[in-house]
This record gives sequence, structure tokens and C-alpha cells, in this order.
Amino acid sequence: MNGTDLVALGPLLALGAAAVVTLLSIAVRRHQRATATIAGLGLVAAACALPAAADVAPRQVTALVRIDDFALLYIGLFLAAAFATIVLAHDDLRRRAEPHREEFHVLVLLSTLGACVLATSTHFASFFLGLETSSVALYALIAYPRSGPAHAEAGLKYLLLAGASSAFLLFGMALVYADLGALSFDGFAAALLAGRGTPALVWPALALVVAGASFKLAVAPFHMWVPDVYQGAPAPVTGFLATVSKGAVLAALLRLFVALGGVERPVVVWTFGALAVTSMLAGNLLALSQRSLKRLLACSSVAHLGYVLVAFLAAAPVALEAVTWYLVAYFVTTLAAFGVVTVLAGGDREADALDDYRGLFWRRPWLAALLTGCLLSLAGIPLTAGFLAKFYALAAGTSEARWALVVALVVNSALSAFYYLRVVVAMAAPAPAAAPARRVPLGAGVLLAVLALLLVGLGVYPAALTALIRATATALS
Amino acid sequence: MLRLAWLLPALPFAGFVALALLGRRLPRATATAVGVGSVGLAFAVAVAIGAAWLAAPPAGGAYVQHLWRWFDVAGFAPDVALFVDPLALVMCGVVTGVGFLIHVYATEYMRDEPGYARFFASMNLFVGSMLTLVLADDLLLLYLGWEGVGLCSYLLIGFWYRDAANGRAARKAFVVTRVGDTAFAIALFLIVRELGTLEIDEVLVRAAAQWPAGGTLAILVAALLLAGAAGKSAQAPLQVWLPDAMAGPTPVSALIHAATMVTAGVYLIARMNVLFALAPPVMTAVMIVGAATLLLGAFSALAQRDLKRVLAYSTISQIGYMFLALGVGAWSAAVFHLMTHAFFKALLFLGAGAVLLATHHEGDVLKLGGLRRRLPVTFWTFVIGGAALAGVPLVTAGFFSKDAILWEAWSRGGPVPWAVGLLGAFLTALYVSRVILLTFFGEQKHAAEPERGLRIQLPLVALAALSIGGGWVHGGFDRFLAGDAHGGEALFEVVAAVISLAGVGVAWLAWRRGLWARPDGALQRFWRSGWGFDAVYHTLFVRPYVWFARANARDVFDRGADAIAGLARGGNRLLVASQDGRVRTYVAGLALGAVVLLAIGVIFARPEPAGAETATEVRP
Amino acid sequence: MNESYVSLLVLAAVALGLGTVILMLNGLLGPSKPTASKLDTFETGNEPEGDARQRFSIRFYLVAILFILFDIEVVFLFPWAVLFKDYVAAGLGTFMFVEMAVFVGILAIGLAYVWRKGALEWD
Repeated sequence: MNGTDLVALGPLLALGAAAVVTLLSIAVRRHQRATATIAGLGLVAAACALPAAADVAPRQVTALVRIDDFALLYIGLFLAAAFATIVLAHDDLRRRAEPHREEFHVLVLLSTLGACVLATSTHFASFFLGLETSSVALYALIAYPRSGPAHAEAGLKYLLLAGASSAFLLFGMALVYADLGALSFDGFAAALLAGRGTPALVWPALALVVAGASFKLAVAPFHMWVPDVYQGAPAPVTGFLATVSKGAVLAALLRLFVALGGVERPVVVWTFGALAVTSMLAGNLLALSQRSLKRLLACSSVAHLGYVLVAFLAAAPVALEAVTWYLVAYFVTTLAAFGVVTVLAGGDREADALDDYRGLFWRRPWLAALLTGCLLSLAGIPLTAGFLAKFYALAAGTSEARWALVVALVVNSALSAFYYLRVVVAMAAPAPAAAPARRVPLGAGVLLAVLALLLVGLGVYPAALTALIRATATALS
Repeated sequence: MLRLAWLLPALPFAGFVALALLGRRLPRATATAVGVGSVGLAFAVAVAIGAAWLAAPPAGGAYVQHLWRWFDVAGFAPDVALFVDPLALVMCGVVTGVGFLIHVYATEYMRDEPGYARFFASMNLFVGSMLTLVLADDLLLLYLGWEGVGLCSYLLIGFWYRDAANGRAARKAFVVTRVGDTAFAIALFLIVRELGTLEIDEVLVRAAAQWPAGGTLAILVAALLLAGAAGKSAQAPLQVWLPDAMAGPTPVSALIHAATMVTAGVYLIARMNVLFALAPPVMTAVMIVGAATLLLGAFSALAQRDLKRVLAYSTISQIGYMFLALGVGAWSAAVFHLMTHAFFKALLFLGAGAVLLATHHEGDVLKLGGLRRRLPVTFWTFVIGGAALAGVPLVTAGFFSKDAILWEAWSRGGPVPWAVGLLGAFLTALYVSRVILLTFFGEQKHAAEPERGLRIQLPLVALAALSIGGGWVHGGFDRFLAGDAHGGEALFEVVAAVISLAGVGVAWLAWRRGLWARPDGALQRFWRSGWGFDAVYHTLFVRPYVWFARANARDVFDRGADAIAGLARGGNRLLVASQDGRVRTYVAGLALGAVVLLAIGVIFARPEPAGAETATEVRP
Repeated sequence: MNESYVSLLVLAAVALGLGTVILMLNGLLGPSKPTASKLDTFETGNEPEGDARQRFSIRFYLVAILFILFDIEVVFLFPWAVLFKDYVAAGLGTFMFVEMAVFVGILAIGLAYVWRKGALEWD
């Protein structure tokens, strides 16, 4: 451990320090705005440490983490998403009039830290540590509001199921270690490729690791918690849960399988192919009859992870580019959608039922337009970020001639258009008696405007992002 | 200066964004400034670029401005790039120039509308999309503009959406043009598959190199493009939507459904003329479509009672002329007529709008009359526009452009197309004179307010000046566009002049002297209904379709569709049942998934090839 | 599929089948004569009294979790203390000291936090 290592770890250290400082500030004095500011500054500080870390990248720091452009890109993405979450939560917490609103920020920082560790992990130990750090904070975040049993129920479900899935994950890691005596990805890969492993042991072991990760990714059939938890969690947390925790696990999986020499093996293709197809189907079929927007977005996220896995199954450089692109587009869209849900909440309840959105175009044209944009992006309509994301997934699928997956993707995209458009139709319906609308607070307003710009900007001018992603994709493969 | 080309579509788009986002909060004066100003600035840019071009044309006769690469995935990398050449410049000049005048006019025409900002937002979006269409270097971008103008057309036809009939008209326009758009899209797919690019220049080069003249592929692609063009330009048999499109506000009719959007098909064929030249049968088809449409439109226009519908059928007929010219390969003549037509038809529509303003939207020519003294400016400019449309010799732009088409029809197509064009010219003179006589002469049957202010009159006067002056640039225009100029034979000019004057004369005898006393014959009713196309389509397509759909409500294919829906519903029910909210069910899901993944792991596990450095397994 | 796994499959099938059959047989063959006392909650032969779901004060939980936290801290400190001399000998003394100082420092801040928030007081 020397100075360069510290620079490379800068973003992670800054994030950890930010969590501690935030906690300390709460100990000194409770003040929501001050705490939120400190947490936000912490995220900014971590982001400012990124360029310095990029200068010394790629760098393996201990056997556990590797700081390279790929990791830094994902860290930047998580930091931005965490920032958005804090901005949205500021409004949400205020509305809920919770007695203790400040600790929320510490938890967000910790969960983000876990996610960042996941993105850098090159070792099963750091994989597990990152995963748990991220999850433990999320348990509390999901059940944060104490205003009703729904939040506690969601938190408890997530806790129990995450525990069960961690057991799978640990068991898988233990089997890998038992067979090959390695826990680092590189050591694992080297031993495996040298032909030292027992195929009947090591691949089921990896299957268990994938099963544990699949819970976090919420791909079918590990998805059943998603609608309940998404609905029960406060909307900003749902956005965070849908983006950061999934993106982090996906980043770690990418790293693991690139280390293993790609996804060429039939066992890998079958594993992720099966997960992709079941997720697309389960997510879209479940969403068809949803009357709750949060549950609908939950089901749609299950389907979207299925699309991502199609991209995941391409050859290494294409897969990295396609998956990362998809994630960025998905982050922007999802955060914007849950942002709209957050700011539309009124009184003591969130705007969740589809009926809350009836006639939204006439009451809140801007928010309705943004939500429409999000839904179109999720459906993959051209000139939105989601179009190119889906195009990438399709191109990745066709590049490997995995026609079954491509067909599933196309069929499911058609299926999904139904329920996305149903929300749009509901928003354009004649307005019922107008409830008094809450003003959109400045911070959330600015955030939503930025997200809206990104949503369209990425669809029209994706070149800058593509260049960035291409530069980082080479770091890994 | 040419580097400013990106401003052309960008300015109207910026206006659209500003108006769409802030429209309802902006004061009306600001909305006006944004809506009209953006198009005005775009016009200034177009003029500047044109001037720069004339001063020093770039090498190669075209200037490409690469803006950015849209995306680059799996070898397909469409560029967002603008292609500036004389054809594009002419189109830009027409779109921004005529567009600007119509915007100015609309500030007065739409004065009392509650949806004022929405109107200008849609108009700006239209201008931006149209400029994207004409400047696109890539067929994909062109298609984007193509769909964009279609969308704006839909929005603006249905602008007064509270009246269900307007909504229906908008939908009809959208659905009918969609038939053509689908053909266009299929043509694009074919081009990508066969030629591997959508960049227009590259497509033309590769097509000429790879496809033999008269080959199946060339014919197929050209025919599909023709279908697309016919849909957008309201050519037979897809012309039925345009008369109904008059449900929109008059400035919309002038801009979109007369001067610019409906000529997009002409532009497309002119732009792709190399490809069409590879498919002689399709060229003949273009000519036949044009000839048929021009007669069909002209006869229908003769029998219409509504002022705007006359002009709509006239537009159909005039675009028929352009198609005729394209079909004989005289695409510069077609584009010249496109330009002059934009001037005088916009003028006629705006004049009609002025009449409607004065008479509180009474458009039936039989109920009007004698407006000459009440609306002098409108009258005189309308007469100038009408004269240009009729092709009154020597002084009007329409004469030169139509004469050029007739001459080309004779020299390249032979006597039949020429005769059809000549008959059309006679009919044109007839119906336009009829409208002028019925509306402005005779006794005044309908109360009329005095003319509105300068913002109505200035565009009228400007367009009238263009309708006269626009023709004198003929020779220069040809040199600018095609690099050569060929004047018509004097004899043909005389014949054309005599024919059009004869039309005017017959009209005078018929409707001024009252020789046409019979009110309404069967033929007239037939023509008024647009040759009964709507009824025919209703009988031929709509009713059999509805009947078939009813009779077939429970057939095999339907069962198939039902089965898919049923499967989706069943799957939905099954999965919803699994969402029972109990943790134990969810854990069962986890276990199930783990078992499946384990099974896959067990079944597909293969030993690694010993000592291999990298995975070399072949895929199944 | 690999031949050697057939036996595994057979074993799985037998295990699953046996379990299912025995459980079903149990239900089918076993006599079922429920009485009130049989159905009652079994509590070492005594009469059950009151509800099993009693409420505990949240403070117990708080104290327990704080105890575990600082207990674990000690678990980490012990091996560190034992090995510290070796580290000094290896020239890593400063590094290890700083590491542990950071660790203890974070915990100290945590302690300060729970103290300030009154989690250490019973009322």
C-alpha cells in the first residue's frame, strides 16, 4: 500500500470518509438540509477524485480490487445516481415529516460505497463484501419511513430473501475454493483454464454464484420480491434499488466472466440465455395487468435486465459496450421515472395507482411529458436513450447469431409497448377533479430537467457516451 | 457561409422547443417573435447560403456538412449530415421563404386562437422537419424528416380538435400516407440489405454500379419509393386524403398541403433520379400516375363548391404535372414547377383565407360573389395567383414552368403526355377562372368585413410579386439546377398560351355570361366527389374489409391471434398468482431458480481443454 | 448428458420420491383423532398461558446490537495486538498502526453518534 494506491482508491476512500463525516455531523446536530449538503458534497468529492484515479489506472490494489477505467466509469455512474437519489429523497423525506430524516443520507452513501467496491472487485471476498455493504444499507433504506407497515414489510422481505440468496452465493464461492483453491478471479480463471477444475463441481458452483447475483439483478425466477419491495420502498429508494444495486452486481459479473475468457462456453450461454428469456417473459407478462405504476416499473425492470443479459452474452468488447450503454440509458430513464413518481406524491401517500396519473397531461404537462418520455425510452422508441440501448442489445444478439434470444427480445418489446402505452393513454385521458398539486421543489426540478435532457440527448447525440464507453471497454478485455 | 447550413433546421427546432415548453406562459407577442422569428432567421440563413453558393460554388457541386455520427453499432453507422446542393438550396429557399410569409400571415389569421402558441410550435416543428428532409444526406435522416412532417400534418389538420370531423380528417391523412410510408420504409430496408448504406450519394453510386438498368431490384426499390412519394404527394391512387386535409387552418393548408410537404414526393424522386433512371418501367409509371392525377384533380376541381377544396384538387393536379415531368426524366422542370407552384398556390390559399376571414368562414363559392370591391388587395393578388395557376402567358411564373413541362413532355414523352398536359392546362384555366368569377364578380351575396391589416396583405403582395417574377429566372434556374438550359420552342409556347387563354375565355362565357346555367349534373356531382374515389375505396376496401373482418371474426388466423393474447393472459394470471406476497413463495422461487441453474451447470459442464490459454470451445 | 450423472439423477429422484411418499402415507394411513388438548399448543405439558407473541422493549435489541458491534471490534483488536510486534519487525509498524487507528477511529465516531443520540441510556 503506497501513495499511488491511495490515489487509485481515492473515490472509495472519499465515499467512506463522507459517510463517517455525515454520521458525525448528525451526532453534532440534526439538520436535514445540512446533512444532505454534506452527503452531496461527499459524493462530489468522490467524483472529483475520479480523474486522479484515472491517471494511475489501471492499477491492482491488493488482491481485492482493481481500479481501471471500467471500474471508474461505473463508480461515476453510481455516484451520479446516488446524488440524484439524495436530491429526490430530500423532497420525499420532507413530505413524510419523519422525525429522523438525517440518517438516510449515511445509508445511501454506504450502499453506494458497497456498489463501488463491487464494480472494482477482482476477488470473491471483495465481491461479497461489496454486495453485503450495499445490501445491508438497503434493508434500512427500504424500511426507512416508519409511517406504515408497508415499508417495514418490504424491508423485511428484502432482508430475508437477500439473506437466502447470499447463502447460495457463499456456498458457490466455497465450492469454487474447495475445487480450485482460488478466490481471486484471475487465479480462478487460470486454474480453470489450465484444466485443473472438476467440471461437475466448478460449474454448478458458478451456477450458485450466478443464482445469488441473480437475486440482486432480479431476473426471473429470482424476481418475485421485486414488485412488493419496489412498491413498499419510498420512491427515491426504489430508483436507487433499481439502478445502483443492479448495475453494481452486473459490473462484477462482467468482470468475473471476462476473466473467465468470455461467455463462449455452452454452459454460460445456457445459463444466461435461460435467465434472459424467463426474465423478459416474466417481467412483461406480469406487467400487463398492473394497476400500480411502481409495480409496473418493477416488472418492467425485470424484463429490462433480461434484455441486458442478451447484450451480456455477446463477445467481450461488444458485450461490455452494449451492457454499459444499456445500463446508462436504463439508469437515466429509471431515475427520471421514479423522480416523477416522487414529486407527484401528495399529502401522506405516494402517486402509485394508475388512477393517480389519469389526466396528468392536463394537470401537470411537464411531468406528464417527462414520464411519457421515460416510458417511450423504456419501450425503445427512436430518439430516446432507450432506443439505442435496445438497438445495442439486438445488435449484440445478432452478432453472435443467437436468434432465439433475438426473437424473444423482439416479441417481448412488442408485448411491453402495450402496458407502457396504457400509462400514456391514462395520462392523456380527461382529467378528473383536480387535486391540489404540490409544487416541484427546485432541486428535484433541476434534476428532472437534467435527466430529461439526457434522455433525449443520449438518443440524438450518443457519440460522446459511446466514445467514453469504448475507451473503458478496452480496459477490461 | 455554407457552414451555417446546420442553422437551417436548428432554428425552427429551437423555436419549437421554446414554444412547446414555455408556450402557454409566454405573452403572445413573445410567442409571435419566437415562432415567426425562427423561420425568418432560417430564411435569412438560406438566402445567405444561396448568395455564397452563387458567388463561389463549392467543388463538386455539393457541400456535405457532417454534424455527428448518430450511432455506430454492428457496422451500421448512420451519420447525421446535411447535403447542400442546388436542389436542396431551392427547396430550402421555398420552405423558409414561403414559410416565413405564411407565418407572418398566420399571426393575424390565428389572432384570436386560444391555441396560438401550440399552432406556432407545430408550424416551427414542421419547418424544421421539412428542412431536415430536404437537407438530409442520409435516407434515414430523410425518413426522420419525412415522418416528422407527417406528424405535423396530422397535428395541424386536427388543430381544432374539438370538432370530431377534423380529428377524422387528420386520421385519414395519417393512415393514407402511412400506406406510402410503409412502402418507403421497405424500400429503405431493401437498400440497406442490398447496398449496405443509406447515404444518398453512396446509394446512387452503388446502385448505378451494382444494379443493371431494368433489373428487378432497381425496379422494386424504385416502385416502392414511388409508392412512398405518391402517398406523401397525394397522387393517384393515394390522393384521397388531401381534400379532407383542408380541415386544418388555412395557413396550414397553404404551407403544408400546398407549398411544401406535399411536394416532398417530387423532391424524393428528383433526389433519387439516378435510381429511377435504372428502372424505366417505373419511370413510365411515374408519368402515368402524374398524367392520371393531373386530369383527375383538374376535373374534380371544376366541380367543387368549397373554395379550399378547389385549391386542394388543384394542388393534386399540379403535383400531377410535376410527376409527369419526373416521369419523362425532366426533373429540373418538375422542381421549377414545384417552386412556382409553391408561390402561387400559397398565394391562392392565403387569399382564400383572407376571404374566409372576411366572410366568417363561408367557403362555398356559390354563396359568395362580388367581393372584388370589398376586398381589393385580396382580389388583385388572388387574380395574379390564379393567372399564374392558369398559366396566363408571358407575365406569370406558372406559364413558364408549365410550358417547360409541356415542352419536355413532347420532346421526351411524345404526343400523348403532351396532349394530356394540354388538356389539363385548359381545365386549370377553366376552374381557376370559375372560382375567381364566382367569388369576386357578380353581386355580393354574403356580408363581408373589410380587409385586415398589413400582416395579411404584405404576404399576399410578396407572394404575388413572386408569382409574377418567379418565372423570369427560368433559364438561370435550369443552369443552376442541372447545369444546362433549354428554352421551349416558340410554337409550343404559343399553343400553350392559346389553350390557357381559351380556358379563361370559356370560363367567362360559362359563369359570367351565364351560359352554364344547368346547376348540377350527375357528372358534376361525380367530379365533386373527387371521381368518387372515397366511395369507391369505401366499397372496394373499407366495406369488404369490415365485412371480411366481421365474417372472419372466428377464423383460424384469429384463433392464432387469440391464442397469443390468451397465452399472454394465461401467463399473466399464472405469474400474478405467484405474487402472493408471502416470503415462502418467493424463497421457493429462489430455490427453483437455483435448481434450474444448477441443472444447467451440471448438464453443460465440459472439461477445459488441458493447458489451453484461452477458451477455445466452439459454440453449439 | 454425461453418463456418470445418471446415478446422481436416480439418487435425486429416489430421495424426492421417498420423502413425498412417506409424507403422503403418513397422512393417509395415520389415524387422526383430534381432541382439544391435542390441538393445543405444546408447552412442556403445562397449560399454555397467555400469548406467545410478547412484545419486548426495543431497547434490548439496541443494547444487544451495540454489544455485538463493540465485541467484534475487540475480536479484531486481539490478533492485531498479538501480531503487532512482528509487523514492527517487518517494517510495517506505522502502516499497521495507522490502519488500526482508522478502524478504531470510525468506531469511536460511531460510539459518539450513539451516545449523542441517547442510545446508551435506558430511558
